Amino acid sequence: MEDYPEELRMTPVSLVSIVGCPELHPSISAALSSQQPPMNTLALPDFSKASILARSGKARDPLAPPQAPAGILKKDWLLKHRTRVPAAVAALFRADQVSGDPAQWLQACSDLENLKSAIQGKNTKLVVVLVQAQASDELSEDVTVALRKRAEIDSRHMIVLVEQDETEWSRSLSKLKNVFAELCSAFYKEEGRRIKARIEKRNFSSVELSIRYCFKVAVYAEFRRDWPEALKFYEEGVRVLREMIGTSTRLPPTQRLVEIKAVAEQFHFKISTLLLHAGKVVEAILWFRKHIRSYERVVGTPEVAFLHWEWFSRQFLVFGELIETTAATVPDTLSPRFGTADNALTEWEFQPAYYYQLAATYLREKRYAIECSSSVANLTTEASGIPESVMPSVYVGQYVRLFEQGDTVSVLPLSDTEYTSYALSEAERFQDSYEIIALFRKAYESFQSLGATRMASACSRGMAIEYYAAGDFSNAKQLFDGVAGLYRQEGWTTLLWENLGYLRECSRKLNFPKDFISYSLEMAALPLFSGSGEENRENKIKSGPGGSPTISRRENIQQEVINVLKRKQAPDGTNDEFDNAMEETTHLDIDQISPLRMVLTASVAFHDQSVKPGSPLLISVSLLSHLPSPVVVDQLEVQFNQSDCNFVVHSAQEDSPPLDSNLHDQVVQATSLTLFTNKWMRLTREIKSGQSGKLECLSVKATINKHLVICCHAESPASMEDFPLWKFEDHVETLPTKDNVLAFSGQKLIQVEEPDAQVDLVLNSAGSALVGEIFIVPATILSKGHAVHSGELKINLVDAKGGGLLMSPREAEESESHDVELLGVSTVDGKELKEEVDSIRKIQYSFGVVSVPTLSEGDSWSCKLEIKWHRAKSVMLYVSLGYSLGSTEEEALLRLNVHRSLQIEGQIPLLVTHQLLRPFRREPLLLSEIRSLGGDDKKCSLAMNESNMFIVNARNCTEVPLRLHSMTIEPDDDGKQLCSVQQVSGISNGHAVIAPSEEYKGIFSVNPRASSSNFHLGDICLNWSRDSSLGEDQETHVIMKQRLPEEIKYSLVDSQNFVFSGAHNHAAFILPKSEHIVSHKLVPLGSGSQQLPRITITSVRYSAALTPSTSAATVFVYPSEPKFNLETSCSTSDECVS
Amino acid sequence: MIVCVAVVGHQNNPLYLQSFTEADDALKLHHIVHCSLDVIDERVNNPKRSAPTLNETFLGLLYPTENYKVYGYLTNTKVKFIMVTTDLDVKDADARNFFRKFHAAYVDAVSNPFHVPGKKIASRSFGVRVSTIVKSFGSGTTG
Repeated sequence: MEDYPEELRMTPVSLVSIVGCPELHPSISAALSSQQPPMNTLALPDFSKASILARSGKARDPLAPPQAPAGILKKDWLLKHRTRVPAAVAALFRADQVSGDPAQWLQACSDLENLKSAIQGKNTKLVVVLVQAQASDELSEDVTVALRKRAEIDSRHMIVLVEQDETEWSRSLSKLKNVFAELCSAFYKEEGRRIKARIEKRNFSSVELSIRYCFKVAVYAEFRRDWPEALKFYEEGVRVLREMIGTSTRLPPTQRLVEIKAVAEQFHFKISTLLLHAGKVVEAILWFRKHIRSYERVVGTPEVAFLHWEWFSRQFLVFGELIETTAATVPDTLSPRFGTADNALTEWEFQPAYYYQLAATYLREKRYAIECSSSVANLTTEASGIPESVMPSVYVGQYVRLFEQGDTVSVLPLSDTEYTSYALSEAERFQDSYEIIALFRKAYESFQSLGATRMASACSRGMAIEYYAAGDFSNAKQLFDGVAGLYRQEGWTTLLWENLGYLRECSRKLNFPKDFISYSLEMAALPLFSGSGEENRENKIKSGPGGSPTISRRENIQQEVINVLKRKQAPDGTNDEFDNAMEETTHLDIDQISPLRMVLTASVAFHDQSVKPGSPLLISVSLLSHLPSPVVVDQLEVQFNQSDCNFVVHSAQEDSPPLDSNLHDQVVQATSLTLFTNKWMRLTREIKSGQSGKLECLSVKATINKHLVICCHAESPASMEDFPLWKFEDHVETLPTKDNVLAFSGQKLIQVEEPDAQVDLVLNSAGSALVGEIFIVPATILSKGHAVHSGELKINLVDAKGGGLLMSPREAEESESHDVELLGVSTVDGKELKEEVDSIRKIQYSFGVVSVPTLSEGDSWSCKLEIKWHRAKSVMLYVSLGYSLGSTEEEALLRLNVHRSLQIEGQIPLLVTHQLLRPFRREPLLLSEIRSLGGDDKKCSLAMNESNMFIVNARNCTEVPLRLHSMTIEPDDDGKQLCSVQQVSGISNGHAVIAPSEEYKGIFSVNPRASSSNFHLGDICLNWSRDSSLGEDQETHVIMKQRLPEEIKYSLVDSQNFVFSGAHNHAAFILPKSEHIVSHKLVPLGSGSQQLPRITITSVRYSAALTPSTSAATVFVYPSEPKFNLETSCSTSDECVS
Repeated sequence: MIVCVAVVGHQNNPLYLQSFTEADDALKLHHIVHCSLDVIDERVNNPKRSAPTLNETFLGLLYPTENYKVYGYLTNTKVKFIMVTTDLDVKDADARNFFRKFHAAYVDAVSNPFHVPGKKIASRSFGVRVSTIVKSFGSGTTG
């Protein structure tokens, strides 16, 4: 678009001229150009310059017959109207110039005459402007009238400008502007009407003039901003122009076509601009389609086809640029159903990128056409040469030759041959490649941002081909590489084939043998796209340097690789240019996402899932290649993560002795290692498993033709993916192994188990543990064949019922105490391990880690685990020994483990019960001493200063005899002062042995010394140990303390002295420390000391009955006064024993 | 004249592509068909398209390029049919009719028990049938 002249690109702007008073010109020009619509000003400083307004062309003889026009449009016509032909001229005179001095008046008159004669014969309007200094400087009526008469103008066109006064100045200036606008409009309308009349009367001699008139009318309409009329006449012009192609004979055919196209281009540009600026995007695109369709086949002769393509490409480029600059968007009113009857347009046609891409494509056509034309031209027109001094003529799209003869310069027309060779030589001077690349890049970026990756790839490919053609192979390779990814992904093999063909050549040119080999192999392994078996048709595909995709071509390519590897001169001229860059061997790495997977795939499966170290195991290695010709593998190296397991398979055909660099490798001879296309080559080998842990096959290296090493990452058959590209092919798929199970579930890794531990861990259980004692579990480590290094014993206590926690939830909240606690670990000789390896030892409540000293083979070591039960609970004890076979770093990595577990029950050793025997009450008690209702919560009643018997029973609940060392009652502080407790019968001989389920009774005498309502007797302490003949546990004593619960029954016996109401027998359950009151209403029948009805209270649990002494149950009944019924209440407090 | 027809699978991979041109522009047709997938993507995923058009299998003119016009069709199983023609004026009805017949031929071809879904269509009879449909295109007897 930038190549177009400015007058064509810009909307025409009215032109007016001002003459005289040059000092006012800048302000007047500025005022006019800021007008809406603006006006351009042709400012002439004085009247002597007015002659340039005169018609420049030579006067035409009105009587001469009308000459046929030499062209359609004159190049400078539009420019002339924009810069040299004003619609109106204003003659500026100062007021003092016209009034006063007669000489000045005469001068002014003659200036005016000159100006009039200059514009004579044109429609140019004249305006006279008088410039006054002040509004008050009134000019005489005579002067203005005289001046107006001289100028022969209407009084309206006589304007007074007032210079000094600001407001007057702007007012008079706006008046001038209005007059100018009116005159311009009139001028252009008249001009347009004049030309239009010629069209309507068909008053023209040739088609050229018709087109020219259309153009002129349209331009005049544009001057008036009458867009519909402009559009109408432009379109009419285009129509006539298109018809002219076949009819005109004015010029030789090639030049005629060039001229028509050049004019059509201008018309089209004007129309597109008008439509797009008016926001009529759809119309503009439809117009563009029409334009393209009209001219796409008007190529002309093959020699000048390049001119057509250049022109054609420019149409797309310019339209694309127009769309881009006007930021055209899809109108909302347009149906979203693109491409159907509702809406004939498509999405891309609204995108500049679409036009750029096509512009680039056609420019490439031009390049091809030039190449063809040049080769032809070189052969034929060598002698005639290129005509000199050819230049564009005054007509659009025409060229002429300047011919100098002496002083006279004449313009000669060109013959088509001359013109062709001139155009060719001009075209050859330009480097189209860069233009094409720039266009493609623009389109690429735009499409990429639109998310149209395939379009973008096509543009990318276009760029790459241009780079390739221009010899910039590294850029080309980079771009081709980018595009190949998409084609690989979507399986467009034909496109990929072409791409790889280019890449292969780029690598060859860039001297990258490795890339060359890998691209070649990929090409050779590509599946061919054969549409419904009609291969011969597809074979005709011209596919860049790669050739057409056929099986034979694939085979050729494979052979070429082999030739390159063998450094052999290929028959088809593929020389060994890689010699310098070729390394001794070329390594190709193929992983699971490599496109070269088609070339070689290795599937490796172990036959087992796990194996003992050192034992033999079977492994299947299967190789598949899609290369068309059989591939002979010289050597196959299978590599594992444990390099000891690596092995190499040599082909027996290989004559040379195997070069065994790796001593670890196992070398195997195989009869033949030849890969046929799409057939698995299966090898099954027995190898020896290495160390324990994971054994994984990493890669399979195939050496082909001695110099090519292809390293395939091993794949498990179970997780093998489909072959890219080949997965769409309709062919039989075979399994990598013959064994179906292995083919679907085989793995390339195997678990090599740990060697069996040859160390024994013995946990000795001594039956159930008893609550309270420190329970010892001896653990013994016995080496049977392994030395134990850096051994570690882990001890873990877990609740056997599950849950893991070794504390009751309630207690866990309250305290840190645990039901079962690991206290420590001691060695047999009693020494704490602390000093040995302090750092490793770590004992927690339920978990412990203890280091084990180094043991040589056959040694043993034992320790004792000390565990204490706080509560009867069943516990699992887990002990595990971890050790390594040696102290070196390598050996230390391999650790062996022995696990043992043991369930241990915790039991309560002794069940302690007690009873209290009290003497009968020997003295009567006053009734007042019997507590009535209420009182404090303590209800223990023992007779003061009396000896009460307190019996404690301890029953052995365990299965082992227990030795009771002592049984005491430890009174607390209160108890010591208030009460004396003496043991009546003690434990003889220091201890008493209690056999299982036997009972031991201890008898105490309790003697309260003070009366107290709240009194705690004390705790019962038992000191016991296991009665073990070994005597090991003798030191352990257990102290038990217990408090006592209650429940009672009572009965009341009738007495003859009283009648009472209430039950004779009843039972009551009394919570500890609570009081229960039994109420009976007694009515004494006689007076005097009377025996109350006897109450007997029995504690059910302890089978202890309490009968209050007779004295305590005797009351004195006073004789009654008038009334006989005296209410007494007797409360019987319950026994509370503590 | 139809110069190329193609069947494109779910992964935008070509399942069938046949050109009917004597000129050596088969590769160009591959490119044109491949690029048209972008337009199909755009049309199918464009949220602006109103609901009733979602059930429409005929996608219409995908884009004009050089002297070709590319038409598209999307089956209910999301297999794409693409047709490239050099005709300047193609009636919507003709294109629809062509695709309808082509769809029927395709359904028959993939109903073959020996055809593996998702693989290229290698059936010879399908090729013959497609050639017939292509030849009858726009001849007026297609109605």
